[in-house]
Amino acid sequence: MNLPLNLAKSSLLALVIFWTIICAKEGLDHDLFLVMLLSFIPIFLVVTIVIIGTICPIYWIAKKEHINNTQLFKTYFPYYAILAFLICAFGIIVSDFDIYLTAFFVSAFITSSQSWVWFANEKSDHETA
Amino acid sequence: MKHILIIIASVLFSILFYEKSIGLNLLLFSMMTIILLAFNNSEQFKSKRIILYCITYLTTAVFVFIQDSSLSIIANVVAFFTLVGAISSDKTSIYINWINGLFSSIAGFFFRKIEGNKNKKEQLLNKDTDFLHLVKLIGIPLVFITVFVLLYKNGNPMFNDLVNKINFNFINFQWLLFTVLGYYLFSNLSQPVRIEPATSKDRSIKNDLYKTESFSEEKLKKEKQLGTTLLGLLNLLIILFIVTDIISLTTIDNSAAPAMSAQVHNGINTLIASIIIAIVIILYFFKGNLNFYAENKALKNLTYLWILLNMVLITLIVIKNQNYITSFGLTYKRIGVHVYIFLTLIGLVTTFLKVMKIKNMVFLFRINTSIAFVTLIAFSTINWDYYITTYNLNNANSYDLNYLIGLSESNAIQLKRHSLNTTLDSKSYSRIDNKYANYIKHIEHKTWQEKSFRDFNITEEEKSL
Repeated sequence: MNLPLNLAKSSLLALVIFWTIICAKEGLDHDLFLVMLLSFIPIFLVVTIVIIGTICPIYWIAKKEHINNTQLFKTYFPYYAILAFLICAFGIIVSDFDIYLTAFFVSAFITSSQSWVWFANEKSDHETA
Repeated sequence: MKHILIIIASVLFSILFYEKSIGLNLLLFSMMTIILLAFNNSEQFKSKRIILYCITYLTTAVFVFIQDSSLSIIANVVAFFTLVGAISSDKTSIYINWINGLFSSIAGFFFRKIEGNKNKKEQLLNKDTDFLHLVKLIGIPLVFITVFVLLYKNGNPMFNDLVNKINFNFINFQWLLFTVLGYYLFSNLSQPVRIEPATSKDRSIKNDLYKTESFSEEKLKKEKQLGTTLLGLLNLLIILFIVTDIISLTTIDNSAAPAMSAQVHNGINTLIASIIIAIVIILYFFKGNLNFYAENKALKNLTYLWILLNMVLITLIVIKNQNYITSFGLTYKRIGVHVYIFLTLIGLVTTFLKVMKIKNMVFLFRINTSIAFVTLIAFSTINWDYYITTYNLNNANSYDLNYLIGLSESNAIQLKRHSLNTTLDSKSYSRIDNKYANYIKHIEHKTWQEKSFRDFNITEEEKSL
């Protein structure tokens, strides 16, 4: 598992999605540029917590059972995606479609799903062996 | 062709839903979805089951347009997932269709990225349409160009003036993002995916129970004895409860709302506990080989009797709830009690069938979820706010006018007419007047996408009450 690369790519993706949604609504202001750059730090932290806390444990447990990444993705990703979608949709509705929270939940859902794909595309140990 | 169709659909999606409430747009979206699904999955559309789900989905969409109620929207969404799930894998249980349908709609795009890698041919196709690469190709240079333009703006006044002259206000970025959302949704729908191994396992499980190798007469005899004693005593207890309940039903004063309310709610709580325990006990005893034990007749008869007595209990609750409704009018909670009672009755009938025809638990789960789905569709065809208002104003002995005012806009004209023909207190009159004024104003501000059948057909006389 190439966790650092996955975290870097996921953080960048989350940053782009988050600010694209906000800028589409609020407009692009060059005063916002510094905030965008600085926001990479909290976004990276959130992405790290989500990926290490929710995706990695599934891979670590499944590794012991010698399941390859593709099989693992096909078996567990659907339930993860459904649960993540329901939580994100609930969050968006409860926030009454507040733009910042909507951007947060949308980027969280897309980023975590794409992170699964990146993990699944890596060759697992016994696939390479 | 497939991508062109999806792009057209996503633009239409934005035209229909961007900053709009639900109305005619959901009916048109349902039609679009069926066309897209049929175009991409023509083989599956030869199945009668799929055609039936299509008709159901379309019917719910028509009722969203006619009724414009939350329940009809929920029914439409559930029918949508059922149809998409059924296309991903036919001949599966309805709950598997829901899971497959939901998953296909929300994350089919990501799943196909890995599915697509299975064979090289698909991989090549994926390379042809590598959207992630396309996003990178456009997104990354765009981000960097924006950054550098913002930097250079401060370094050169002439460049600053030039940049300031560029105006992108004519582009609505939010609309574009919404179209991307539409593209994502339709791309997911174009090729529904299935969750494995849940789907194949469900297809392989039959509804019947079979005798297992651990069949032991001695063990089953003890189990039968325990079951007969337990169900015999429970039958005696429920008979006693029913007799006392009938006596209390004949003595209760129908004019006291709190007493009736307490009685109905206590009855419902008893019913919930009783039915759940009844079904769990029956399922425990008839989970395996006891179904094939030759001397299980007494236990079976006691089970049937207990199911019957629970049905009597249900009837008593129906009578109590109906008395409550006749005296104090209809509300959503009281209708909900009737719905719950109906579903409980269905649960008991299917448990009876399970025992009689020696079926397994999956049978119960399959048939009960299917009936719940049909019930949802059937109930979504009724405009409950209108029906509750009509019933309470014309039939109930007394009713809560504030409750009726608090319902959706669909009873605004009814209430306005009622206020013109009846003497009301000034506060109620003013609230009804406000509701009616807001309703008329709301209709006038609705775009064609948001209008319902009622909005299209409102008369001038109704507008100027």
